[in-house]
Amino acid sequence: MIRYLVRVVAANLRRAPSLYLLTIVGVALGVASVLTVQILNQSALAAFTGSVQAVSGEADLSVLGRTPTLPDSLYPAVLADPDVAGAWALSRTSVTLADRPDYFLDAVGVDFFAPIRIPFVTSRTGGPAVGATLANPAAVLATPGWTAVSPELATELDLAVGDTFTVTSGVRRARLKVGALVDFRRLTPLAGTRLIVLDLAQAQALLGEPGRIHQIDVRAVAGTELDALAGRLRETLGPGVDVLSPEQRTQRAEGLLAAFRLNLTALSLISVFVGLFLVYSATQASLVRRRAEFGLLRSLGATPRQVFAVIAVEVALLGALGVALGLPLGYWAARVNVEVVSATLTNLYLLDAIERLYVPRALFALAAAIGIGGAVAGALLPALDMSRRDTKTLLAAFTLHERLGSAALPLAGSGAALLAATGLWYVVGGHDWRGAGFVLAIALLAALPLGTPLLVQRLAALVRITDFGWRYSLRSLGVRLQTTAFAIAALGIAVSMLVGITLMIGSFRRTLEVWVNSSLRADVYITTPSWRGRSTEATLDSALAAALAALPGVRAVDRLRGFPGYTGERRIALAGVEMGIPYDDSHLPLLAGERTSALAAVHERGAVLISEPLARKTGLGLGDSLPLSVPTGERRFVVAGVYYDYSSEGGTVILSLPTLNAAFGAGPVNSIALYLAPGADAEATVDAIRARYPDTPLLLRSNRTLRAEVFTIFEQTFAITRMLQGMALLIAVTGITLTLLVLAHERLSELALYRALGAGTRQVFGIFVAEGIGMGALGLVLGGAGGMLLAAILILVINRAYFGWTIQVSVPLAALAWQAASLLAAAVAASLYPAFRASRTTAAELARDDV
Amino acid sequence: MLAFDRVSKVYDTFASGSRYALRDVTFATSMGRTIAIVGRSGSGKSTLLHLAAGIDVPTTGSVGLFGRPLERESETARTRLRRDAVGLVFQFFYLLPHLSLHDNVALPALIAGERGAAVDARIRQLLARVGLEDRARDPVQHLSGGEMQRVAIARALLRRPRLLLADEPTGNLDDANGRAVMDLLLALVAEEGTTLLYVTHSREFAALADETWEIHSGVLDTG
Amino acid sequence: MCDRRRAPACRVAFAAMVVTALPADSQTPSWQPADSAYVWSFPRDHWSHAGYQTEWWYLTGHLTPVGDTAPRFGYQFTFFRVGLLPSGPELQSTWAASDLIMGHAALTDRRTGQHRFSELVYRATPLLGAFHPFPDTLLAWSRGPPGTGERWTLTWNGAAFNVAMRDTRARTGFALTTRPAKPLVFQGPNGFSRKGHGPTAASQYYSFTRLATRGTVVVDGDTLPVEGTSWMDKEFGSNQLGAGQVGWDWFSLHLDDGRELMLYVLRDSTGGVDYGRGTVVAGSGTVRFLTPADWTIDVRARWRSDATGAVYPARWRVRVPSAGLELDLEPVVANQENVSRLIADLAYWEGAVVVRDGRGAVIGRGYIELTGYAVLGRLPL
Repeated sequence: MIRYLVRVVAANLRRAPSLYLLTIVGVALGVASVLTVQILNQSALAAFTGSVQAVSGEADLSVLGRTPTLPDSLYPAVLADPDVAGAWALSRTSVTLADRPDYFLDAVGVDFFAPIRIPFVTSRTGGPAVGATLANPAAVLATPGWTAVSPELATELDLAVGDTFTVTSGVRRARLKVGALVDFRRLTPLAGTRLIVLDLAQAQALLGEPGRIHQIDVRAVAGTELDALAGRLRETLGPGVDVLSPEQRTQRAEGLLAAFRLNLTALSLISVFVGLFLVYSATQASLVRRRAEFGLLRSLGATPRQVFAVIAVEVALLGALGVALGLPLGYWAARVNVEVVSATLTNLYLLDAIERLYVPRALFALAAAIGIGGAVAGALLPALDMSRRDTKTLLAAFTLHERLGSAALPLAGSGAALLAATGLWYVVGGHDWRGAGFVLAIALLAALPLGTPLLVQRLAALVRITDFGWRYSLRSLGVRLQTTAFAIAALGIAVSMLVGITLMIGSFRRTLEVWVNSSLRADVYITTPSWRGRSTEATLDSALAAALAALPGVRAVDRLRGFPGYTGERRIALAGVEMGIPYDDSHLPLLAGERTSALAAVHERGAVLISEPLARKTGLGLGDSLPLSVPTGERRFVVAGVYYDYSSEGGTVILSLPTLNAAFGAGPVNSIALYLAPGADAEATVDAIRARYPDTPLLLRSNRTLRAEVFTIFEQTFAITRMLQGMALLIAVTGITLTLLVLAHERLSELALYRALGAGTRQVFGIFVAEGIGMGALGLVLGGAGGMLLAAILILVINRAYFGWTIQVSVPLAALAWQAASLLAAAVAASLYPAFRASRTTAAELARDDV
Repeated sequence: MLAFDRVSKVYDTFASGSRYALRDVTFATSMGRTIAIVGRSGSGKSTLLHLAAGIDVPTTGSVGLFGRPLERESETARTRLRRDAVGLVFQFFYLLPHLSLHDNVALPALIAGERGAAVDARIRQLLARVGLEDRARDPVQHLSGGEMQRVAIARALLRRPRLLLADEPTGNLDDANGRAVMDLLLALVAEEGTTLLYVTHSREFAALADETWEIHSGVLDTG
Repeated sequence: MCDRRRAPACRVAFAAMVVTALPADSQTPSWQPADSAYVWSFPRDHWSHAGYQTEWWYLTGHLTPVGDTAPRFGYQFTFFRVGLLPSGPELQSTWAASDLIMGHAALTDRRTGQHRFSELVYRATPLLGAFHPFPDTLLAWSRGPPGTGERWTLTWNGAAFNVAMRDTRARTGFALTTRPAKPLVFQGPNGFSRKGHGPTAASQYYSFTRLATRGTVVVDGDTLPVEGTSWMDKEFGSNQLGAGQVGWDWFSLHLDDGRELMLYVLRDSTGGVDYGRGTVVAGSGTVRFLTPADWTIDVRARWRSDATGAVYPARWRVRVPSAGLELDLEPVVANQENVSRLIADLAYWEGAVVVRDGRGAVIGRGYIELTGYAVLGRLPL
């Protein structure tokens, strides 16, 4: 049988390459979707893990602040613990290149004279990393700005040892001098290249503050119970710190990214699901074409099981080819999208940017398993069907799939039952569970194909045949359910996804527009380029802040100081605000609380406002008290209001600047918002400030520019989503082609009859194109309905549960109409080739069966 | 109206090289005649019908239909000629299982883009004539063979073709049904004034025609 | 910053480079060389001397638990000042430092045969350790080694040097008061101690050759009151070994007749004597300087270290005819090797010895330091 298989596959590949090709494409696209998403997910984590490992690879535990920095007086306390074998103080600063404000480097300050190993290399291309030493170690202190950089960075910036480059952190500029090359990839392959290392003293002096560090890495004595040590250190060091193992730190990053990753994974699985349909169609197409062959095999004594095995192995082979194509495709798509995903990570999650793709081998295995397994799964039904048919049916000319026709009603019934049961479950108690939205979505996407046969059947039956045109085509679709329903269902799912996500994104964007309109009221926003990296480090000095406030034409000034903090174990963003305008003039959109009195409570009585995601995730509301980790322990603040916020899914808290400073210690502000006098021009003011402070690294944005930036970030966040939408749709549209090819073969005699009765080639062509459009239209109908439900689930359930924000539903009609038109156009395009093939049927085909 | 002039049709076969399906066939029919062609399987009778319907073209010689040499017409022109002037009845009926009796009969009109009350009336008339007017909206799947062939005959006559070609119209029916179908077919062409050319292997049914020709190994004997 | 899987002990440290590589530098402002005309000023010169690259306070001695009749412990306590910069870097930082402080301490227990070595290296900052200015009685201090809460300290209260060290992990520690029993001795004319043939190959060097010592020793949780005799060396300068020198042998001996003998030999790569000097201090305190011509040293046995594979001399016969001395020196415990875990390839032997006469009678005790014997051996300054 195997030898037979090999010959047959080769022969069929020559005879009908398009069907094989489409199976392969279906698998490839599905595999690519999954792979792309998983690569990006893994790379996002790897970027974080890489920086943890590069900097803290030897550490068993890291002491991290719950406030932005730690006093270095904690370091001796760590050293003194009897189970500590070694400890290293570190500072971590995100800096930007002065001449490339969007180019961020992670500047790590280390104690070069502590027993740590730095993987110095002697040249850009290599040389020893172990045991390499510095010719002049004292230079790390003596040479102003002495910094070690990675060989890759040196190459990229064209720096050699001895060269200088300027970086900024907040409004500070620092001239750094390349003192040595250091290659952290020798220690961990995940390490980024944008890590620069300088002595802690230089780091504090040039980029930080004396006495403040960010992290203490700890190595424990062998055999130490790490949990106990961590607990003891927490006790010794006080409530302002976390003591975490590298694994726990990675887990935290995973936790932060969980919602983001889950959503992408879910989307990619939809692509696989749609891909399964494609494989189904392609297999069926291929099998229908070879029906006579299987009939012959059976008549020669092959058992159904043997026939099934032939088909299964063949499809698995095709699946393997699809995987082979899908792997590079997925990798390529990941590469194309890495930048936008990376931007999302830094913008929304305050995590490390992805510098390189990380592809663990296991991912390839996963993709291969999904591809081959998916192909076989997709082929299961047609293969079983084909292997079980009796020999006579296989050899007959006019056949009609009746089984699905009679099963349409029960199938639809089970779909409806599934939906009803899931809906009931959700209402009764499921809504308390965070993942409930996904259950709803899965039920919806499962019910959709179940209902498809009935819908197609009933719609087709409704049509009265009055011409040999689209009505006739639609009727034909209805009777070829087993072939057409699958393609339509696949299309329906893809369209559901398209419509659902379009509605979600459209609504989100509209909501964001409204929010931005009320939140961004000032005319000019001033911060430093660091804002785009780790915003905490975008520090403006107070003299500059005062000078800017005193500029002519400035009516009022808001000041903001922000940094990450903790409420309980939840990482949140804290914002200390000093308002320059009356409370009544604020347009801060509140979900709970009255604006003027809430602002008064914040600014006069030390209360706080919390963002909607935080309120949803903590269950806190008006009048409750919010615990915040402060350097001295925990302090509680009265919640005076809940405001709409879409800047952070983790949650944000607004305090008054004096309240923040009192609780966390004074510090520089991070951004200033200027309100201009009536008639003053924002862009002109921006230019004026730029001219006045040519050497200060400032990030100046007019209201208009900032808004544009907000939406750029927004679009970046959803870029990958849109790509997955596109992939699913591509798969689905390919399904149309396949289905029509199947039909062209299944209905050979029928087409010949039309030709015998005088139908011209154009008419047959037209019938097929109309069938393609019909499938597209049915897919649209199904998908439109499914998409609305999906959008409702996404907006009202999943977004609330995972991100915690309210999205006002808004229907982007133009976008949807455009998508519908493109889908139909794609359906037409997809049916051209099958229609051409069908139109070449001659009336003589009819006679051939007669002979 | 249908004239074969020294028509030969040669098929290239893989197994035995060139094979003559028709050899030097010459004949002419006149309006309103019924002609039966008798021959065994593989004698070339189906090829002859295909050439007559313009489905295929001769290798040599000329097929004239209503005075037009088909071998010089384009595929499209031949299709149009067939659509407008030729009716076809097949041994296996070739009714579309997903359509009703009415829609199966209506198919030629649909293809020709004809519609309206006149067409509907004609369908009703033909269905009544073949005795199936009550079942116009039924699916064809559950009809008996004789009933199916009656529907097929109605379909073939819908657009009043001047020439009706029937390929073993009773070949798939038992004797009683075959006889009934044959009678109906002959009665209908007589009423419609249609020329009928039918192929059969039954001498009994052949005898019902105005003329009976025989065909053996691609050679037609019109005497 | 270092990967445990690749570097099990992760001790490939910077300090090692600092210690060995500094002289090669030409960029940093120059260090002050030792000067034969140095003007000494005591007690000021007990404190540290910024501007010189290296400086150490070195205490060794034998301790007898109160109530015992014979010395049970040998101890070493050393603070090294490793100059990074002649003057502090102008950096606004609590981590700005011009020196490293390195502490080495060892306790040899004759009863158990154990030799416990403890060490630390920190940059000298107010946070981690410091050399205090005159007249602060605290000369120098540092945080203990990781895992130890207690500081290491060295004080001069006008009458005595006090040292204290603790290593929780090594379960050892001591706190000792060492009171000079004899006056301060310059090693070399005016305390100018030559180390080679070059004009600046020298250090400023003085000793308290005999200090009455009492205090406590902690061993495995037991705190024992002790008393005994110590030797204190103080040395500072800016030069290291010359090009041909690979290490040194250093002898400091207390003789029961009230005299002290100090000898040092800088070896060349063949094991021969490249340079050497010595001092005999009479019971009255009178000092006589020696040159290699004045003595002979025969190595009578060798000992191989399992830890480093280094082969060290392990018994000596020292003859100083002009002083009428013929001494057999014998380590109290064979393994008194100090192997650094913080600084790569740093290993040396620093051990307590007994001094016997030709008939085998104990006539004194002392300490010997042997450097440059480990294969990749580097030198503790």
